[in-house]
Amino acid sequence: MTLRLSRTWTRRVALLASLAVGALVSTAFAQDGRLEAAKKEGKVVWYTSLALPSAEKVAKLFEAAYPGVKVEVHRTGSERIIARVMQELKANIKNVDVVHTSDAGHFVFFKAQKLLTKYTPAGVDGFPAGFKDRDGYYYGLRATVNVIAYNTKAIPAAEAPKTWKDLLDPKWKGKMVTAHPGYSGVISTHVLALVNQYGWDYFKQLAQNKLMLVQSAVDPSGVVASGERPVAVDGGEYTFYQIKKKGNPVEIVYPKEGVPLVVSPTAIMSFAPHPNAAKLFTDFTFSREIQQVMADSEGLYTGHPEVKYPTDKPKLSDLKLLTVDPEELEKRGEEIRQRFVEFFGA
Amino acid sequence: MPGVSIRGLTLRYGDLAAVEGLSLEVAPGELVALLGPSGCGKTTTLRLVAGFLTPESGEIWVGDRCLSSSASVVPPEQRRMAMIFQSYALWPHMTVAQNVAYGLRFKSGVGRSDRIRRVSEMLRVVQLAGYEARYPGELSGGQQQRVAVARALVVEPEILLLDEPLSNLDANLREEMRFEIRRLHEAFGITTLYVTHDQAEAMVISDRIAVLERGRVVQTGTGDEVFGRPRTRFVAEFIGRTNLLDGVAAASDTVTVGRLRFRVAGTGVAPGTRVAVSIRPHAIALTEPVDHPAPGVNALRGTVKRASFLGDSVDYEIALADSDIVLRVVTPVGQRRRAGESVGLQIDPAACIMLTDAGA
Amino acid sequence: MRLGARALDRSAVVWVGAALALVVLMALPLGWLVALSVSGEQGATLAHYRAVLGDLALRKAVWNTIVLAFWVGLGSVAVGAPLAWLTARTDVPGRGVIRTLVLASFVTPPFLGAFAWVMLAGPNAGLLNKLWRGATGSEDALLNIFSMPGLIFVVTTYTFPYVYIMIANTLALIASDLEEAAAILGAGRFAVALTVTLPMVLPALVSGFILAVLQALALFGSPAILSLPAGFHTITTQIWTFFHFPPKIEMAAAFSIPLLLATALLLLVQKRILGRRGYAAIGGKGGQRRTIALGRWRWPAFGACLVVMACAIFLPYGILAKAALSRAWAQPLTWDNLTLANFTFTFFEYGATRDAIVNTLELGVATATVGAGLVALLAYITSRRLVLGHRLVGFLALAPVVIPGVVLAVALFIAYTRPPLLLYGTLAILFIAYLTKEMPVGYAQSDATFRGIPPELEDAGRILGAGRLRILRDVTAPLARSGIIAAWCFIFIGVIRELSASIILFTPTTKVMSVVIFDLKEEGQFGAIAVLGLVMLALTFVTVAVVQAALGRDVLGVRE
Repeated sequence: MTLRLSRTWTRRVALLASLAVGALVSTAFAQDGRLEAAKKEGKVVWYTSLALPSAEKVAKLFEAAYPGVKVEVHRTGSERIIARVMQELKANIKNVDVVHTSDAGHFVFFKAQKLLTKYTPAGVDGFPAGFKDRDGYYYGLRATVNVIAYNTKAIPAAEAPKTWKDLLDPKWKGKMVTAHPGYSGVISTHVLALVNQYGWDYFKQLAQNKLMLVQSAVDPSGVVASGERPVAVDGGEYTFYQIKKKGNPVEIVYPKEGVPLVVSPTAIMSFAPHPNAAKLFTDFTFSREIQQVMADSEGLYTGHPEVKYPTDKPKLSDLKLLTVDPEELEKRGEEIRQRFVEFFGA
Repeated sequence: MPGVSIRGLTLRYGDLAAVEGLSLEVAPGELVALLGPSGCGKTTTLRLVAGFLTPESGEIWVGDRCLSSSASVVPPEQRRMAMIFQSYALWPHMTVAQNVAYGLRFKSGVGRSDRIRRVSEMLRVVQLAGYEARYPGELSGGQQQRVAVARALVVEPEILLLDEPLSNLDANLREEMRFEIRRLHEAFGITTLYVTHDQAEAMVISDRIAVLERGRVVQTGTGDEVFGRPRTRFVAEFIGRTNLLDGVAAASDTVTVGRLRFRVAGTGVAPGTRVAVSIRPHAIALTEPVDHPAPGVNALRGTVKRASFLGDSVDYEIALADSDIVLRVVTPVGQRRRAGESVGLQIDPAACIMLTDAGA
Repeated sequence: MRLGARALDRSAVVWVGAALALVVLMALPLGWLVALSVSGEQGATLAHYRAVLGDLALRKAVWNTIVLAFWVGLGSVAVGAPLAWLTARTDVPGRGVIRTLVLASFVTPPFLGAFAWVMLAGPNAGLLNKLWRGATGSEDALLNIFSMPGLIFVVTTYTFPYVYIMIANTLALIASDLEEAAAILGAGRFAVALTVTLPMVLPALVSGFILAVLQALALFGSPAILSLPAGFHTITTQIWTFFHFPPKIEMAAAFSIPLLLATALLLLVQKRILGRRGYAAIGGKGGQRRTIALGRWRWPAFGACLVVMACAIFLPYGILAKAALSRAWAQPLTWDNLTLANFTFTFFEYGATRDAIVNTLELGVATATVGAGLVALLAYITSRRLVLGHRLVGFLALAPVVIPGVVLAVALFIAYTRPPLLLYGTLAILFIAYLTKEMPVGYAQSDATFRGIPPELEDAGRILGAGRLRILRDVTAPLARSGIIAAWCFIFIGVIRELSASIILFTPTTKVMSVVIFDLKEEGQFGAIAVLGLVMLALTFVTVAVVQAALGRDVLGVRE
């Protein structure tokens, strides 16, 4: 009972904190001249694959900081976002301003198709190279890693899988869940990283364990928390972290062989109908305050050098990171999706 | 061959009494027609006898078995009856032979070859030999009707029920089939209940007629009796046409109607009772106006109001002198009177039936 | 033929216009569909068909669809026919209640049912499995809903009402004396059912089977929810994946055509079977029906009906309510777990909800209003034979039933994402899709309405000098009013639950409720899904109540 009470309190404190941040941020940016132009445009349309509650929170903070400019959040999986953008382009619909997915390959594609506006948000000089496009068209807004997670009620810690190879053990048959590279950029990055480590045979074997297929990288955390499948073989670490913080019986495993790093880029489209609002919004999301919010309440990693991370999760520098080249991701995207479907059925 | 005994049958639908204390005896081998207007309860009675309805009170006995009472009803399939429906109810997915053979399937001791033989025989009897493989949809109305008859007769039921089986046929066929059904009844001798609203049909087909009014039997008798000696105004008016005159009994064989006096068929009715006199239009003879009529005959004078020539008879409306009564008279074609002529009317007292039910 | 005099009628413009609108609605998208399926870089090609037919994965999807449709057909007949017989012919208790519950299953969107059954029968977290494990101590699950049998089960549960309606209506048509004649000749109640009732109902049984198969072929939501996690596709889900990036629209088109041909063929067969005159009741009056006394089977039969209803209504609606009110749907409903947070999230925090509800209502009202008007005109034309080729009009009005929702969406996508009519991204393209898809059900209702109004009533007015349009307003419309209201409601209900076409044609600004529910599923937001699902059901039931009031009788069309 006491635990639950303190959770409610924690939430209240967190809410107050974000409001305070909002107030701070608004005073900091109130002098921005672009605000007038952005207010005239009225809104910024944001296609994002960031988990829905997190995306809505960022949007609300921006609206509090810049009254008069609304954020229209459209959240869906990374692969859906690019399909949507291309479909709309084909039908000559110019709706979206800022695109943010977790599939770095998309931005290689967009850049090649000359669909991006070259824009460097304020303060990104200190970001690591992996978060910056060398031509200045897109930048990494957030990052996470793919991890293994399990339900602590169903599986004692001693028996839990520790490495990616552990997941191939037949004892896990019917007990695991995976998200889908056909929907999620986090997962397509993950698959490419492991394919580069172990080859496609790894996934061929993994499929023998008859995994449950969900779509979004956000989904496995819910599946594991509910106990529907006790083990998740991939998924955004930040989602597991959040759900664990809420008191669900979930534990995260960071395999020693390495965790695939997913840097989620963001960019402004060349045809953005509200370019000023878009730039304002982009700057906002890269500000130290917001990047700190993302680290604190959302459990994300960021490229900002001044952000402090919660102590109850490993720092990026402590983990062995498996990285993926965005251009390879773009080139092999089709192959990733097709072979995954080939092994897992759908 | 058992008879049917219906005792005090009652069945209500809500406030409406379909059948009220109805009693009727049908002797073994007898064909009784249930005759009456729509809503009189004849079909309800038939369905009660068939076991499709449960009586609220009363009993139905067939021979020495009580088949229906308010406490329990033997289901239709165990009553050893057969029924011919107004719509014939032939099964469209079965051939004629299969239709006719259906009831035999549920009789013990009838093997397949027996069935085929009996079906063929029966089809010959109804003059449909060779039609075994046809489907009902391919037959005319009259042929369908005969299949329905064959199907009912082949199972040799104890009781045969017919629910207005001829009403869907056209007039000529109906007449022909009346005689056919009578012939079959005489050949097979099954105790039969026959529901109809057509009195000519009832008279041709039945041994006895039961006239129903509002859920009760108001008179039973042969066609002669019911036609010639109706016991109530309703029967008199329903069976054939009649002239009904309201009056007061003056003596046991005389009725005063206004200023007219009629000699009637004698009954023991106290003088002073309000009665009606029923006189059939055919029973009135037209003569020259006579000043001194013969004794023992009702002689009246009147004026022709209307005369309609109907081909084989003439239909008159004649206004009586000394009265505001207008009589319908039907005479054979012979001397035709014209409108406005004065005539004499002669009526045999035996044809004047005194009815004591005061109901209008 | 009175056509000559009518040709000069001023109102002809209206009729011809309506007929033309119909042709455009139907012919244009289908034309594009066929054209694109054979279009290639260098002109017409069969390459797409070759690719589609040659691909192993696609062939598997086809096989899965056939298996699904077949078993759903059988299952629907196995459940729907006995249920219809029980409520129409026997003295099983609670007939009215059962009919109402069948109606409720009929209007429940299958994908909502699928979603509810995930919460009930997911092999580990599903409520029923948890209870089973608690009761028996077993490690294994009793039911795994993420499987072909699970999919068949859920689809059957929401498809059997089609068979029920068909059989119940047929049973009502069979003259009662056909069964009485058998009874009096010695057949016991089950012998009557087997030798007389069943053969006469056989064409309706076959027809109902085909109807159920057609429904199963066209479903998208249930397979997407139940089969994808299990790793297999059906034709509809496969077509949907062709729209993922990079899109393969030509493949989608080529894959749609066989599905379209199959549904057309099945419908043709069904019409043939139902059209056989020989099985209509011959002759005479219907009359009162004798109910078959079930005796000691009464309550067991009622129990069986309740089990069916539990699967379709009680359990799924119950778990939806629970999920709507729980923080964690899989945890027991304790005081701590109770929350209204899902409602706040859905309506106040999730931006897409409000827009989606508004869009759905707008589209629902618009489609229903325009649709009811259009089908009323069309039904009037065909029942009064106002234009040359009125039979063709009637045929075209019913033709969309041949096109599965997904295929229609593909066709519309192709037709309206290019000049001259660039409708993609607007509500208009959804409007057209819904109008086309729901037209048949509205038309069928309107057709029945107008056939119930004798033309003499109108002729009497015209002879007195009123023009045809005036007569429409003064005479026909008041008489047809309740039937048109019913058509409006049927179309409205169809629109608010439509998923298979919406999932392909929507854009972020034109989402509808069903799409939002589907989106939320992909993010595992069970609480929000349950809330939206309950809203959708509430909307549906309110509309049903309106229909019942307007028609004054059971909306299933089964008369007492």
